[in-house]
Amino acid sequence: MKFQKTTMLMILIVMISGQWTYAGDNQAMEIMKKSHLSMFYAADDGIAEVKMTITNSRGKERIREFAMLRLDLEDGGKQMYYTYFRKPHDVSRLTFMVHKMPEASDNRWLYVPAVDLVKRISADDKGSSFVGSDFTYEDVSGRHWSEDNHKILKEDKLGDNDVYIIESTPIEKYKGFAKKISYVDKGHFLPLKEEYYDKKNELIRVFTAEKIEEINGIITPTIRKMENVKKKQYTMVEFTEIKFNIGVGEDIFSERYLKNPPRNFIK
Amino acid sequence: MLTKKLTYLMALIIVLLIPVTGLGSETNFSGFLQGLYGGGLDKDNPTPSDLTASETRLQLRMESFSDNAEFFGRIDFVYDDYYQPSTNIELREGFAKFRIGSFLDFKIGRQIVTWGTGDLIFINDVFAKDYLSFFTGRDDQYLKAPQNALRMALYTGVGDFAVVYSPRFTPNRTPTGERLSYYYPMTPDGGAIVGAPEYLFEANLPAAKFKSGELAGRFSRYFGNADVALYGYRGFYKNPVGFDMATMSGYYPRLNVYGASVRMPIFGGIAWVEGGHFDSRDDTDGNNPMIPNSKISGLIGFERQIGSNLTANIQYQNEKMIDFDKYVETLPVGMAAKEETYHLLTTRITQLIMMETLSFSAFVFYSPNEEDLYGRFLTSYKYSDAVTLSLGANIFDGQDEYTSFGTFQKNDNIYLKVTYGY
Repeated sequence: MKFQKTTMLMILIVMISGQWTYAGDNQAMEIMKKSHLSMFYAADDGIAEVKMTITNSRGKERIREFAMLRLDLEDGGKQMYYTYFRKPHDVSRLTFMVHKMPEASDNRWLYVPAVDLVKRISADDKGSSFVGSDFTYEDVSGRHWSEDNHKILKEDKLGDNDVYIIESTPIEKYKGFAKKISYVDKGHFLPLKEEYYDKKNELIRVFTAEKIEEINGIITPTIRKMENVKKKQYTMVEFTEIKFNIGVGEDIFSERYLKNPPRNFIK
Repeated sequence: MLTKKLTYLMALIIVLLIPVTGLGSETNFSGFLQGLYGGGLDKDNPTPSDLTASETRLQLRMESFSDNAEFFGRIDFVYDDYYQPSTNIELREGFAKFRIGSFLDFKIGRQIVTWGTGDLIFINDVFAKDYLSFFTGRDDQYLKAPQNALRMALYTGVGDFAVVYSPRFTPNRTPTGERLSYYYPMTPDGGAIVGAPEYLFEANLPAAKFKSGELAGRFSRYFGNADVALYGYRGFYKNPVGFDMATMSGYYPRLNVYGASVRMPIFGGIAWVEGGHFDSRDDTDGNNPMIPNSKISGLIGFERQIGSNLTANIQYQNEKMIDFDKYVETLPVGMAAKEETYHLLTTRITQLIMMETLSFSAFVFYSPNEEDLYGRFLTSYKYSDAVTLSLGANIFDGQDEYTSFGTFQKNDNIYLKVTYGY
């Protein structure tokens, strides 16, 4: 009988602690999901003018300017992006379109107007640089929360903001990082800072939301910075003329508009 | 006459549309200044100059648009003292495009047209190309020559239909013996690689009649991730492949092309397949040796990223001549016979480093049965957003002088290009 009681107690402890641990992971997962949605799926659609300034280790600046349209078909799911390049001169009028598929490879198209060429681009390179900046393709469209294991390290303050500090490790081996520490704001769930570490546990990149504003009732980072610690260079991205819920249709994200930019949205 | 009227009509339509569409509500200007200097590597090239390129180019771009209409113009001023006159002005593009309702787009004017899936191999893309630019180091945008055309695109639930009508035939721009030499089979000693001024290449264009226009069409749609297209073309060979014994000069025989293509993501990359039937309308039986026979052309290619910022592709093309026995029967004595099947392999490798500011690329065409090759090599450095420095080479080789690339084997060149964009 005594044996049974001990066993019952142990099972109970395991169950409770198990459930508790589960609840902990679940909470971290929930936070990262909310963070992902507020960062990459704000409203149902959006448009912005983007200015990217890449500063190398010698202080030399390069600037990319483009307009970016986004449409979410499902929160956390299928999403479409349309990019119209303005500067520098050699990519001016170029358009780039992505159909993001969380469960499969993205579909990507590039249109080069000077030769009237629609090129499909293989999407096997989520970790490679976006237009030569310190941001990767994945940084631009977001890494799905279900691809990593998350745990809350602690609850703390970052500046004046209350944050969850969350550690994420890729479930499947991943080249982009071995560990990521996110500082997620407890109020609006935007990541205020992210630190990316390689497998030697050395800091490789740091993301910071430099400026956060409320636009059309939606809280969004309008200046973002990605620092490449190893290369001693960084990229600042400034979003202006942001509009949400402008009613962009799914048809805009087609070859027709790839070749003929939708001028009612993109001037 | 009719083409002239058509041009006036197009101009009138554009002018009338300006107030209607509110065209001109947004206007932007840009462009670039570029110097291109290239030297030949072969001492015995029969061209009059050792330089394959020596030009200064200023491009002005202007765009103006409203919600449903857009005007775009791009004009080049080129100074090259090799030619007379030394300053040449070319309208590269000058078109108006507008959207009518939710399913119809028009593009009228001087424009560049491209379709098909091949990487620098063209089967169903029977639009004008500029091989002189291509072989001497001009930017990629110069591979395509502009043509005056009316393009209409119709978007339906079934798929997209596009039609391109050019009132006047626009040929490819090919080496003339001035900057680049070529093989000429009718020299007194029975064929040689020749140059200008003695063998300045000039071909006879089709008469400027309504019948001499070009019509190209495409139907395309997606099946899942695969884009599938059907093509049709009615016009002329874009290269002067016909030979008129009466005038002893080349000309452009009639040509129709029918084909299809599929392109889709697969195995972590993009794969494409394209095929076409070249219907040689002036030699349907294949028994005129002065006009190419009809042929079937097929292409398969695959591209993927193979390393960090390193992309590679490979392509294989196969062309089979129709009525080969008649070709052999009627071939004049002493003329080198082509093989029934032509094989071509190509590969492209592109590496970007230093945050995409430095790039290396190589593109090689190699035909195992014609035993000739053409290699394009380019290193480009973006010194700043405005300034780009490029160093490149074009290398040709061939066992024989009469093959596709063998004909250009004395034109090996290296070039330096500096571009300032604004």
